[in-house]
Amino acid sequence: MTTALRERAAGRSKATGAARPGRRRRGRPVALFLAPFLVPFAALYLAPIGYTVYQSLFRMHRSGLGLTAPTQVFAGLSNYATALGDADFRGSLLRVLLIGLVQVPLMLLFALGLALLLDAKTTLFKRFFRLAFFLPYALPGVVGAIMWSYLVAPGLSPISAAARHLGLHLDLTSNAMLAPTIGNMLTWGWTGYNMLIIYSALQAIPAELSEAATMDGCSAFGIAWRIKVPLVRPALVLTTVFSIIGTAQLYNEPAILHNVAPNLPSTYTPIYAAYDAVNANNFNAAAAESVILALLAFVLSFGFLKLVQRKGAAL
Amino acid sequence: MKARSRSLAAATVALAAAMVASGCSSSGSGANDSAAAAGSSGGVVKLDFWGWAPGYDQSVAAFNRTHPNIQVTFDKTASGSKGGYTKMLTAAKAGNAPCLAQVGYETLPSFAAAGALTDVTKFAATAQAQFAHWTWKQVTIGGQTYGIPVDTAPMALMYRKDLFAKYGITTAPVTWDEYAADAAKVHAADPSVYLGDFGNDAYNYAGLAWQAGAGWFGTSGDQWQVSVNSAGNQKVAGYWQGLLDKKLLKTDPSYDPSLYSDMAAGKVLSDVNAVWDAPIIASSVKDGAGQWAVAPMPVWDAANPVYGNDGGSATAILKGCGHAKEATEFATWMSTDADSVSNLIKVTGIYPAATSGLSNATLSAPDPFYGGQTIFDVFKAETSHINTDWQWGPTMTQTSTDLGDGLGQAGTGGTTLANMLAGVQTKTVAGMKQQGLSVSGS
Repeated sequence: MTTALRERAAGRSKATGAARPGRRRRGRPVALFLAPFLVPFAALYLAPIGYTVYQSLFRMHRSGLGLTAPTQVFAGLSNYATALGDADFRGSLLRVLLIGLVQVPLMLLFALGLALLLDAKTTLFKRFFRLAFFLPYALPGVVGAIMWSYLVAPGLSPISAAARHLGLHLDLTSNAMLAPTIGNMLTWGWTGYNMLIIYSALQAIPAELSEAATMDGCSAFGIAWRIKVPLVRPALVLTTVFSIIGTAQLYNEPAILHNVAPNLPSTYTPIYAAYDAVNANNFNAAAAESVILALLAFVLSFGFLKLVQRKGAAL
Repeated sequence: MKARSRSLAAATVALAAAMVASGCSSSGSGANDSAAAAGSSGGVVKLDFWGWAPGYDQSVAAFNRTHPNIQVTFDKTASGSKGGYTKMLTAAKAGNAPCLAQVGYETLPSFAAAGALTDVTKFAATAQAQFAHWTWKQVTIGGQTYGIPVDTAPMALMYRKDLFAKYGITTAPVTWDEYAADAAKVHAADPSVYLGDFGNDAYNYAGLAWQAGAGWFGTSGDQWQVSVNSAGNQKVAGYWQGLLDKKLLKTDPSYDPSLYSDMAAGKVLSDVNAVWDAPIIASSVKDGAGQWAVAPMPVWDAANPVYGNDGGSATAILKGCGHAKEATEFATWMSTDADSVSNLIKVTGIYPAATSGLSNATLSAPDPFYGGQTIFDVFKAETSHINTDWQWGPTMTQTSTDLGDGLGQAGTGGTTLANMLAGVQTKTVAGMKQQGLSVSGS
């Protein structure tokens, strides 16, 4: 009787939904096989997230000049209210949204175009080009950012110097140009990576489809647009979701660029702002800002998935 | 695309690993005394010391040679504002901070407000007489001493003597009015050349405010007062805004390669900066060696000269140090021992806070980069005229970040210094309230 109850409870507590309450003999081996994943997952993934959420609900209490060690008191959602009430933080959220809205579609269109060209029958030197497009991704992001920051730095920039010879005044780190400059850095670094994912999907399309289309009198462009693009739709969705998450976490590029562009504020992106709060020894505020950013990335990526699923095509 | 966050994550992991590693070898913390026990084996006390200044390691090595019972390990961190302080505060929060840390005077109140320091008043009492009174004030907050002063940082004008002459400036500007006139003169002669650079370093700017007696923080009873936007501060801001509006200053970021390349190319002729910047310029600007010179910082009133200070740091004893007595002994030795002070003057470029250090022979050595000038004489003459009222606040990290952002924006014309000060005032007060500190001023 008690064992039966226990079994049923165990069955229900398994969050797999489809798992039937198995016989007890099976429970232990399953746990053993899952442990190598579950234990590190809990320790390295769930615990830090839980700790962050916990920290975001507290604040430091000091008295007077605050020269004695502070105590931690429960603050409810006040850290969240402060973060969202901070114009700079709201601005940073809006900024990554805008950069994402412009840069992600442009980059993925670019990546799709390159992948289709690589996949086209008539393209020469495929291997060379594939490697060349992918190369920027192979560089560590920070190295790429440092390289670009020298390419755009006022007084050092060869691009601005070339523009001067043409009689143009081009300041790539002015307030108006910061977002395009960062977008350009991102596009340079990530197009090849996304191209490779799309290209792999293209490789999986049976050649017979293209052959049949050619026999039916379909042009190369028609094949690309009517056959290949619909078939690599899942890859495009995947790269979009990755790009949304990545853009929400934008940090390297603005942080490195700050060295040559002192007009770039330290609250340029949400992670930058959270790091700033850590620097100011305000861990609770940093935790709240991190949670807000995580929720934003979650809502945006799942929102996008829901959006494309609603359009009816099977993913 | 998710991999974009990889480097940040890797850096965080590396930082955490570094902290764990140092935690294991540190003299431990109050939180886990087992580590403290491990720190002293066979009667030898082992102390960890985090800092970034060049030359500290040589002083530590000299101490270890002469003190077999106290062995200090120096770990080089990133400089304080570039992540060093964050690392220290994070370690203190995690309970595995080193015993000793290099902490600038400006950041000590922040460390105190974070509860990251150990009160060493009873161990440091005997050392107090060996330091200038105002430097002891910088390491004592609310009557408790948290460390030992190492240096002060009087500011001066470092300039290219030969290029000054070329543009018709025979003597270095004595007052700020003369400085402005010279800036106009140079820029009129050659629009690509600037007398000086208006950088984005908050503490350099603080030194300019310090000189003018335009304080930022004060305490009244148990309330902090913030006066970043006071009339005195607006006066200083107005002066520099005037130069910026006329485009008479270069706006390279402070301590940036672009500034040094401009200096080397003779496009930026001078810099108003602290004593510790003298060796930095010497090592960063190889061209023009021997042509540079040091003059006193321009003043507001030539009849009654008052100078500013930019920096200076203490050796602070951090939270949970199981050997505060030995740590204080080391810190005092490092700041006062003649050989150690000589080394710190030579390699670090400090200007000693210890009164005995002022007569150190190393300070009278001619400097070949500065045309054989005994540059420390300039700073020595200034020391007794440095405004001693200056007090730092408990949220300086935040304030300096906001100020640095504002200076960068002002340099590129994105805002005015007057607006910037108003914004920093508002943000500082709000930040202090959020940290649970009682504050007046709005």
